[in-house]
Amino acid sequence: MSKFQKTLKKAAGQKMLYIMIVPCMIYTFIFSYYPLSGWIMAFQNYKPAKGYFKSPFVGFDQFMFLFKDVEFWWSVRNTLAMSLMNLIFSFVFAIVFALLLNEIKSLGMKRITQTVSYLPHFLSWIIVCSLVSNALSTSDGMLNNALMALGFIDKPVLWLGDQKYFWWVTTFSSVWKETGWNSIIYIAAISGIDQALYEAAELDGAGRFQKMWHVTLPGIKSTIVVLLIMNLGWVLNASFEVPYILGNGLLQDVSQTIDIFVLKYGMSIGNYSLATAAGIFKSVISLGLVFGTNAIANKLGENSLM
Amino acid sequence: MKMKKLCAMLLASSMILTLAACGSDNGTEQSGQDSSAQESSGGQSQTPESPAESGSESGAEDSQGGQTGLVPMEDADDPITYTFFVRDPGQAPADDNPVIQKITELTGVTLKFEFLVGDLDQKLGTMIAGGDYPDVIFAGDAATKLMDAGAFIPLEEEIPKYPNLNAMYGDVLKYLTQADGHVYNMEIYGTFLNDVTEVAPPFECAIGFYIQKAVLEEAGYPEIHTLDEYFQVIEDYMEKHPDIDGVKTSGFEILGDGWRNWALLNPAQNLLGAGNEGAIFVDQQTFETSFYQISDTAHDFYKKLNEEYLKGVIVPETLTQSYDEYISKITTGSVLGFYDQNWNFGSAQNLLKADGKYERTYVCLPITNPGVKDGYLDKSNGIPTATNGVGITINCENPERLLRFFDWICQREVQDYLQWGEEGVDWNYTEDGGKVLTAERRAIVYDTARNRDETGHTLWNYCPKWQGIYKADNMPCGAGESPDEYLASQSDYDRQFLEAYGIKYPAELFSDPIIRPQYYPVWAMNLEDGSPAAVASTKITDVTMKCYPRLILAKDEAEYESLWADFLKEFNAIDLEAYQTEVDRQIAEKMGR
Repeated sequence: MSKFQKTLKKAAGQKMLYIMIVPCMIYTFIFSYYPLSGWIMAFQNYKPAKGYFKSPFVGFDQFMFLFKDVEFWWSVRNTLAMSLMNLIFSFVFAIVFALLLNEIKSLGMKRITQTVSYLPHFLSWIIVCSLVSNALSTSDGMLNNALMALGFIDKPVLWLGDQKYFWWVTTFSSVWKETGWNSIIYIAAISGIDQALYEAAELDGAGRFQKMWHVTLPGIKSTIVVLLIMNLGWVLNASFEVPYILGNGLLQDVSQTIDIFVLKYGMSIGNYSLATAAGIFKSVISLGLVFGTNAIANKLGENSLM
Repeated sequence: MKMKKLCAMLLASSMILTLAACGSDNGTEQSGQDSSAQESSGGQSQTPESPAESGSESGAEDSQGGQTGLVPMEDADDPITYTFFVRDPGQAPADDNPVIQKITELTGVTLKFEFLVGDLDQKLGTMIAGGDYPDVIFAGDAATKLMDAGAFIPLEEEIPKYPNLNAMYGDVLKYLTQADGHVYNMEIYGTFLNDVTEVAPPFECAIGFYIQKAVLEEAGYPEIHTLDEYFQVIEDYMEKHPDIDGVKTSGFEILGDGWRNWALLNPAQNLLGAGNEGAIFVDQQTFETSFYQISDTAHDFYKKLNEEYLKGVIVPETLTQSYDEYISKITTGSVLGFYDQNWNFGSAQNLLKADGKYERTYVCLPITNPGVKDGYLDKSNGIPTATNGVGITINCENPERLLRFFDWICQREVQDYLQWGEEGVDWNYTEDGGKVLTAERRAIVYDTARNRDETGHTLWNYCPKWQGIYKADNMPCGAGESPDEYLASQSDYDRQFLEAYGIKYPAELFSDPIIRPQYYPVWAMNLEDGSPAAVASTKITDVTMKCYPRLILAKDEAEYESLWADFLKEFNAIDLEAYQTEVDRQIAEKMGR
């Protein structure tokens, strides 16, 4: 019996499993792979009235337009900067928050804190952004009032008009909104740690911080790595709402992200090909980021995703 | 499961919050509650027979139902609904709007309005990308995008079949025809060349530098023609009144929020004597184009704003504020001046009027460079822009019935009913035979929410309609065009204000309206999707939106000059020629050169 026949026989034995996986494969094909055929637009001067077949091919012109435009590179820089800051801070805050929450002994208090902290997740960005712009206002804004009362500044700072603050504004807006929500998964991971480990550590004379450092953190390390790899894939997609809502002319150089650029120069003036080209660019970079992190995680001896 | 419940509750409560916010925006808590009530009933309670219960006039409407003189359409008992996207932000009229209910009863036609949320170009872009069109679209000058995408059905052979539509558009069909030889839309704003109506004179200027009437009153009603004079009276007033009604006085506001960017970008062209032209200055004699954005006038204008910023007349926050913040600021009555278009801040002014703060309402001034004749007022040349109209999309299943409906709407009786309402209830004749609204109706008209929910305004506004003065009997088409109504609607304060200037209408402060050449205006021109001209046009907006605020916030003169040099460098790096050549080409084409 050849190898092929063996495989076939084995497969026949697992018939039910194969049948069960078919719907998933069809789903993935229809919604994930089939739309990729639209990438052809990126190499055309696509006009909706003409369709894929009659729009003229222009080769790499759309990509050249992107790569030659300094504004596009600024957008790439802004997207990467804001997303990475966002990623790092939301990770750190969520993990620290989960660790601290885990240390609370009163069950009721713990539950209340957790619920209150993830509620902002359900607010839409529109609402959060108007809260932020109110808090940062120069006329009676919370932050300016507080800083003035404490004597740090003597006149209100135009937080939303100065380029050097903007990335921090976006970062802390999403930290405020998402910390509680992001920590849920870590809290779940922490609760899965074997209690015997803590008891053993205690016997060895470990204090609270040592237990956190030597037991809890290693216990959720694999969760952290998996989430990091998955989130890195989204880095380039993650910054649209806040810069779009809070951005203004003064901030344009630091607030315009790839998505906003695409909206302006692609969708708004009807150049769908350009929008597609930028989309391909983003996909390629994201893929690189995911594989890169995965490889690093492998090297470090962590369980990688692939 | 618990999670889901929580989500649903939060969603529901946030929706209620939003609705309440919408309602209070328009100054009436009532309407917010009304619409949320309808929302929850899912519109199922709406039947043609059930008379509207709210609204003072609905009773009268009903009892006179048969006497409105309106002839029902033959297929009125066969209901049909058309979806209608409108490029303006706003709200659809309430389902129990008595006028719209009546029209539906007489025609069987329901127009389901969808208003804009967010950015128009992006909305249309997504619509086109998905081929997902409603039945009817009013997209303003952005309609060109839809035409290029093949979204509209051609109308040139349809319009002549309908008598009223033909009377309205028959004489201007050639101007409505696009480059590909088809007519795709029925223009809805303006009085076009026709045998039925003629252009009404404007009572107020629609765009320019506005100033609070109290400022002029205190300065002794001076004639103001230059920026220096304008800011001088504002400064004087600010000095004497650091607070107004407990709110810190703001000298001059500049709104630059997304697409509402004209206050930041446009004023220089008006100072040069142009109207609301677009992103380029066109010499009205030679039709030569130039970029006013980098002219000396622009340099001096932003310099002046910079000086006012340094003096504290302009607060920096005005450059980062959103439209809603801007409107609520004006509503407090503490803003002395701004550059705007009247429809954009109309809701704030209506609230000021409703509060009886007439001295806090605004008047537009003819401000130009010294010695330049102002060109703020337009007199329609009767030629449509060919883009600013409603088009029927390829997704519309029964365009014939819709056109018949539009034709029906354009009957004089229906138009009068939509615009004026019932004689004796909503309007009366004056002694000289002019038409004025009754006080009750006027109160409704000035209340954005009630006007929407109790009159036929929305329906009238977005359908083909007669505008101007009817030639047959010299009657105004609507209250907005009636001189008698304009005078009658003025408060005592405003009458006194006009008397002090010795004028009948605020528009008399300006030079006579200018009849514009056929190409006008540049902003309505169609730029091919994704063309270098379209890219350049976006870039022009981008660069100016970015650099002008910086200029205004410059620390001193030296910094201003260096920022100006940076701006020139960045502006000139744009492919300006692509845009200018395209505009030149279109002007030459439309002027038949």
